Order: sequence, then C-alpha cells, then structure tokens
Amino acid sequence: MPDNNPPAADVSRRSFLLTSAVMASGAAALAASLAPLRHLGDYVTPEQFLQKYYKELTPAEMQKVLDRITREVEKQYQVRPDVRDYKPMNGVEFVYCLNLTRCIGCRKCVHACVGENNQSRNPEIQYIRVLKMPHGSMDTEKGDHNYAPASVPEKGFFYMPIQCQQCKNPPCVKVCPVKATWQETDGITVIDYNWCIGCRYCEAACPYFARRFNWTRPSIPKERLNPTMSYLGNRPRPQGVMEKCHFCTQRTRQGKYPACLEVCPAGARKFGNVLDPDSEVAYILRTKRVFIQLKEELGTSPRFFYYFDV
Amino acid sequence: MSLGDKIRNYLVFLVRCGRIAFVGDWRYYAWMGFLSIVILLGINAYARQFVNGLIVTGMSDQVSWGVYIANFTFMVGVAAAAAMLVIPVYIYDNKALHDLVIFGELLAVAAILMCLAFVTVDLGRPDRFWHLIPGVGQFNFPGSMLSWDVIVLNGYLLLNVHICGYLLYCRYLGLRPSKWFYIPFVFLAIAWAVSIHTVTAFLYVGLGGRPFWNSSIVGPRFLASAFTAGPSLIILALQVIRRVTDYQIHDRALLTLRSIVQVSMLINVFLLVNEIFKEFYTRTSHVASSQYLFFGLHGYHALVPWIWTAIAFNLVSMALLVLPLSKSLRYLNIACVLAIVGIWIEKGMGLVVPGFIPTPLGEMVEYSPSLNETMVCLGIWAFGILCYTVFLRMSIPILQGRLVKETEPA
Amino acid sequence: MDSIGKTWWVLTGLSVAFLGLCGAFVATSGVAVAHGPAIPLVDTNFISTATARMSAADLIRTGGDISGMECYACHDKKNPPKLKLNAEGDVIVPKEHEDIVMGHGRHHRNNNCFNCHDESNLEALQTRDGRHLKISESPALCGSCHGPTYRDWEAGVHGRTSGYWKRDAGPIDRKVCTSCHNPHSPPFPPRAPAPGPHLLHPNLAKNHTPANPEHH
Repeated sequence: MPDNNPPAADVSRRSFLLTSAVMASGAAALAASLAPLRHLGDYVTPEQFLQKYYKELTPAEMQKVLDRITREVEKQYQVRPDVRDYKPMNGVEFVYCLNLTRCIGCRKCVHACVGENNQSRNPEIQYIRVLKMPHGSMDTEKGDHNYAPASVPEKGFFYMPIQCQQCKNPPCVKVCPVKATWQETDGITVIDYNWCIGCRYCEAACPYFARRFNWTRPSIPKERLNPTMSYLGNRPRPQGVMEKCHFCTQRTRQGKYPACLEVCPAGARKFGNVLDPDSEVAYILRTKRVFIQLKEELGTSPRFFYYFDV
Repeated sequence: MSLGDKIRNYLVFLVRCGRIAFVGDWRYYAWMGFLSIVILLGINAYARQFVNGLIVTGMSDQVSWGVYIANFTFMVGVAAAAAMLVIPVYIYDNKALHDLVIFGELLAVAAILMCLAFVTVDLGRPDRFWHLIPGVGQFNFPGSMLSWDVIVLNGYLLLNVHICGYLLYCRYLGLRPSKWFYIPFVFLAIAWAVSIHTVTAFLYVGLGGRPFWNSSIVGPRFLASAFTAGPSLIILALQVIRRVTDYQIHDRALLTLRSIVQVSMLINVFLLVNEIFKEFYTRTSHVASSQYLFFGLHGYHALVPWIWTAIAFNLVSMALLVLPLSKSLRYLNIACVLAIVGIWIEKGMGLVVPGFIPTPLGEMVEYSPSLNETMVCLGIWAFGILCYTVFLRMSIPILQGRLVKETEPA
Repeated sequence: MDSIGKTWWVLTGLSVAFLGLCGAFVATSGVAVAHGPAIPLVDTNFISTATARMSAADLIRTGGDISGMECYACHDKKNPPKLKLNAEGDVIVPKEHEDIVMGHGRHHRNNNCFNCHDESNLEALQTRDGRHLKISESPALCGSCHGPTYRDWEAGVHGRTSGYWKRDAGPIDRKVCTSCHNPHSPPFPPRAPAPGPHLLHPNLAKNHTPANPEHH
C-alpha cells in the first residue's frame, strides 16, 4: 500500500486533479444532502435557543418570555392569546376522584381536554384514554381502547378514563436527564416545553401511558384555539417535546375546575384540594370505603382515586 | 526539547495521520467511497428527520424507542467488549494479544462514536443538547440513569482515546511509553467497560412500569451478550486486517478470543433459560411482553420469527463454539457471525421493542422501522466502520514502524 | 488492468456517484412527509358542557317551551284527575300526556303519578310524608326516597358541580337531579360515544382484527 513514497510527476498531477474532483464532488454531495434543511423555517430562534431553565428565570425574564410566546402564537394563529405563568396556590394539593359507577364511556372528557389544552389534531394527541373494562377486573391489559358501539354504556362493562395520575412519587420526574419535568407544590407534575430535549425517557418510564410526544409540528385549527394559556400548561408546544395532562393549570390555578370535569355529562369526575376538609374530594376520601389507585404496587402513589358508588 | 517543539511534533504527527487516511490503493478508495455514499444517504435521511420530526420513523407514543436505541444498546456492548482484550493482556500477561489491544480499543472508540450518534438522532430536540451540560444546563445527576450514561460513555471515550493515542504516539516517537501514563488508565478502563454496559442496562431495569425490563437479570444478560458479540466482532475484524494489510496476527490470538466468546455465550444462553423459566412458569400478568415476543399476543406476532431466529443462531453458535470444530477458522467465523447477528436481534428488537408491547394500559401497537429510519441507522453504521477503517489506516503503519518520526519529510 | 488504472476508475466512478447523489438530494429535498389520512375535527356536541336534559327551572330560566307546564289550562282545580291502571297495576298514560314514558322504579314500584305530583295542586309536588314542594324544590322530593344519593348530591359529589373548586374565587353551578335524570324515567340515557383514538402510523395495524381482550 503506497503511503510515503511520492508518485511520479505527471501521474502526480493527474491524480491530484482526480483527487480534487472526488473531494469537490464529495463536498457538493455533502452540502446537497443537507438540502431538506432549507424547509426548517422557524424551528428555533436565538432567544428560544438561549432561553434559561424555568426555575432560573427572574419575573422580568419570564415576562419577556411570555411576551415572546404571545407574539409567536399571534403570528401563527392570528389570535391574540393571554399567556401567563400561573403559580401554585399555597395550602393546596390537588386530587382527582373518579366515580367508575357513573362514567358511561362517552369520551367527551377526551375531546374537551383536547380543545381546552390546544392539543394537536393531526397527528392526534389526547391526554385522556378511556378504557372499556370487563366487570370484575382492574387489569388494564383487559381494557379495550377502541370501542365504538352505537351507544354507551354497554352491559357487562365499566369505563375507566386514564390520564396523568400526578403521582406523589413520579417515575417520569426521576428519569428526566435535564429536569425538564418536575412536581410543583400543588401536586401537579409540569413540563417546561422550552427545556425538554425530547429523549422520551419519561414516556418509557410512565406506567400509565400518560405522556405524549410531538412527533412533528402540532396542528391546531385556528378556530378552536383556546387563547387563555399558561406557560406550564396549554400554550402551543413545539415539535420534538413532551406534553401531558397538567390538570388544566390555566383553570385550576385560578380556582376553576378542569375542562374534563366541566364536560362530563354524568358528573363522574371530582376534583379539588384534598387539604380542605370541606372539598368534595375530601368528602369522597372520607366516606367511600374502597379506592383503586392504579398500579399502586409500583409505589408511584397516584393522586387519582377511582371508586365505585354502587 | 521546548514545549513549542513538543507541540510542533504532535501537530505534525496528527497531520501525517490525517493525510494517510486519504491515501491507499483502489480497494481502499472503493471501500471508503462506498461507506461515504451510505453516510451521505444517512445524512440526507437525518436532515429530513430534523425538519419533519421523528414522525418519519416508525415510532409512536406506544412504542417510543425503536432501532436507534436498539442499535445504541448493542453498540455500547461492543464498546464494553474492548475490555475483553485488555483483561488477558494486562491481568493475565498474555503477550500474543499485546498489540491487538490497540485494535480492540480503537473499535471501542468507533463504537462509542456510533453510540453517541444513535442517541443524538433519537432526540426530539438535538438543538437543546446544551441543557445536558453540567453547570450550564440542568444535569439530573445522580437521579436519572441517562445522566449516568452520559458521564460513563464520554468518560470511556476519553479513556480509550487517551490510551490508544498515547501508546501510538510513543511508538511513533520511538519512545517507551511511561507506565504511569497508561497502566492505571488501562485498569480503570476495564472497570469502566463493565460500568458503561451496566449503566445502560440500568436505564431499562429502573423502570417499574415496564415489567419486561424491571428484572435483575437484565444487567448480567447485557454483559454476557456484550462479551460474546464484541470479541466475535474483534475476531472477524482481526482477520480482515490480516487479509487487507500485511500486519501479522497469529491464530493463537484468535483462539484466545474464541475461549472468551465460548464462555460468554454459555453464560448468555444460561441466562436466557433463566428468563424463559421465570416468565413462563409463573405466568403472572407481567408475562404479556414475553408472550408477545416469543409466541405472539392477541393476534400480533411480528417479532416471533425474529426472536426464534436469534435463539437458533445463538444455540448453533454455542454448539459450534463448544466443539473443537470451531478451532478451525471457517467454523469459528460462522459461529461469530451467528453470535453477532443473534445477539443484535435479541438485544435490539428482542429487548427494546417488546418492552413497549403491550403498553402499560394493555394496548397492542406494533413497530417496524421506516425507510428513513433505516437509512439513518445504516449511515451511522457506515460512519462507525469508516472511523474504524481510518483508525486502522493510521495505527497499523505506526505499529509496523513505517509511520514514525524518522520518516518525517524534511 | 493494473492497480493505478483501477484506482482511477474507482475515483472517477466515485466522482460520478457523488454528483449523482447531489442531484438526487436536491431534487427530493422538497418532498413532504405524508401524515396519513386527515382526522376530522370532533363534532362540537362532544365538547359542549350541556347536561343530558334541562330541568324545569332551567327551561323557565332560558325561556324554553313551557307550554306543557300550565296544568290548569286543561285541568280543573276542583276536579283532581283520576288515574287509570292496567291489569298489572301500571298507570296508563293518557293520550294528552303521551310524550311521558313511565319508567320510574323496577317491578312497578313507582308508577303512581301522585307519589310525586300533588293531585290537589298539579303545579306542585308532594312527598310520601306529606310535604308540599315547589317544582324548583324537586331535589328534596327525590331525596325523600334516594337518601344516600341525596346526601352525596348535597356534598357536591353526586352529579356535576361546575365552576370553581375554590368556592371563594367564584360561583358554582350546581346541577339539580332533573338536569340529568328524566323524573318519569330516571335511568341515565345511553348515548353515542365520541370517536376513539387514532394511531400515529395507521398502516401498521391495517391487517389486524381488533384485539379481543376478554379472550386471553
């Protein structure tokens, strides 16, 4: 193999030209291989790239970020949103109780959530998944996700809506390599969409199939955009980041019920501050005797309590 | 010699090494050209993925890790297996393998570069990589096993680059390497090799919501399969080196590696038997993923032919390795190829994908890699092989004494 | 061919290949990614917060059709209506009220109109223990038999309470029994469910029959 022996002069010139031709065409091919990147558009702006971690933002910096997000949303959807950073309230720990006797499996909660929280319609992102379960079992493996009968409920089955359980001991928070997801004092596990690197480790870690990934740019119909937005909640998310149920931070941190509860025709959903003894959820936990916390043997300690009335 | 001279010598060394990578005979150009074409196709596929998002792959919310992470897992094993050459040489003082350690460690460097590439292409927001840098971003150490993996993989890369670089540079200068500059690092690398693969295993084991992975056998299985597939790759690579260069490699070296592969494969198969018993004898509801993998579940059976092929390959390979038949290179090579392919399937499609099927809520959604995804994987494989070719192209002349300081052009 | 000749062929071939790739990359760089069939937007009735029906009070409040509620337009105050029962003891609904379908209580337990309606004052209600209630006070009537449910309802736990969980932050909208339950046929009516979830890559599942989870 020739390595250090210099070749003859004219062969050297020809081989130099040929080598240059190969290098040049190779460089051209390399540049051309990156051609799809010209459609990158507004993938990331310098301010988005440099944005600091949520917990390190001063209130002034946060306001700048919110103003920037307002401009971005207005530019994309021609709707002026109201984006705020709603903070958790003191003395509040949210808990969700779900009455499995009353749920009829209509899936209105799924779609109300989609509308309230500006989830992508295509590809479809839905935080809530309703399982049709046979009487007698809480084994989620027996659940049917794709039931489509003429009417619900069907005899011999009950329906179990599952969304983020806002676990006390969340496996998703433990595994995130960049701390993009964490639990706040009111019990809600939130995500900083501008910090997430999209590794999807949290999605693998979640035992409840609660987390969703933006596999591409989300598409939200302009006419259904909800302009009341929260930074850690329902503002439109970029491509390549995780999202999930956040108990409607833009509603609940103003004292309102979440959208899934508001739309439930059977009143199966109950939400509130478990630290308040007069709340509905405290009443339920006091008076109903049997609660199911899904997969409680995993030690996640979910804040979602399923129960039966009759 | 002044510092300026030392730096100048080192830069000249680097430039000469760099130049030599572009010089070769027609087979070399054809090989490198072929790899470059595959790499370019991979870059193009990745550019498409960068713009459109990971929707261009076959992954979904239900199966959120696929061939990228499967290949990553396999290559971490290959990288760890470089230690398998180091141990006999430095602990058991096996002179026959002495120089070959460098080839093994260079393979480890190429493998780690591939691992880093596989993980990067899997990220949804690679532009936010800086969020991982400790001090600058928010590094979740020691909580997240991924943060441990970032540390151990980069550390292993630096260790191996240092060891190889130092030994090769000393050979280039014609100096005896100073023990303190490499022996401690070598022993550290042995422990570190075990750690990179254990940490990677812990990525999976630490997830309570995925009973298929949440088992203490995953770590030992990873190591056993890595120490089977890695040395097998090295056995094949050494024979390629023997054929395309004039570097002398004794059969004794290959047979020493054979005994490593033999023992590791026996342990690997034994652990497989353990897994199968545990899953199918007790038949708790946690058996669903194994049921899907080995026999199909609820009418979904895409992985069944794959896993049984892998098991057949592993068993035939084990039989060949145990028999004196495999002392002949032809049968040894067959055993190695079967082991590599079998373990690639098992660790890749047979470990990563079934962990997602069924989902924690019992949903059955299958996965198959898209064309774009496959092109990116092939591009990274070609890149790794290209790196290894370049490393060999630089190191063999140094080891043979042809690329040394004396032959520096004036 | 000697080695140098072969080298030239290889290098020339590579240059051609690279240029070819160049062209191919540029030509295909605009190819959009197919998403799969478009998923239609969900019908707006699946996201409306309307209850299953409207109570009498809601009907009056929103200016709905209350023509059926002026009882003494047809009935005579001095002449309470008489019930006609069939062979099993079920009330026969007169044709003027044929829009009412009776189904309150199993085994014909609650088919007497005047278990709830007050025959001496048709625009009011009465309990079994003799309390007279306005139509807007109907929850107390339901609760006079359905005790545990009524207690839950009082605590806000049965049926839907909308508005503010933080009571001092804003008003709540407490739905009464008849906002969801038809008093003459109270079992909650079945309805068509909203569409189920769509997969990201639908083509992968094309050849499969839906999973039958009951058969393990």
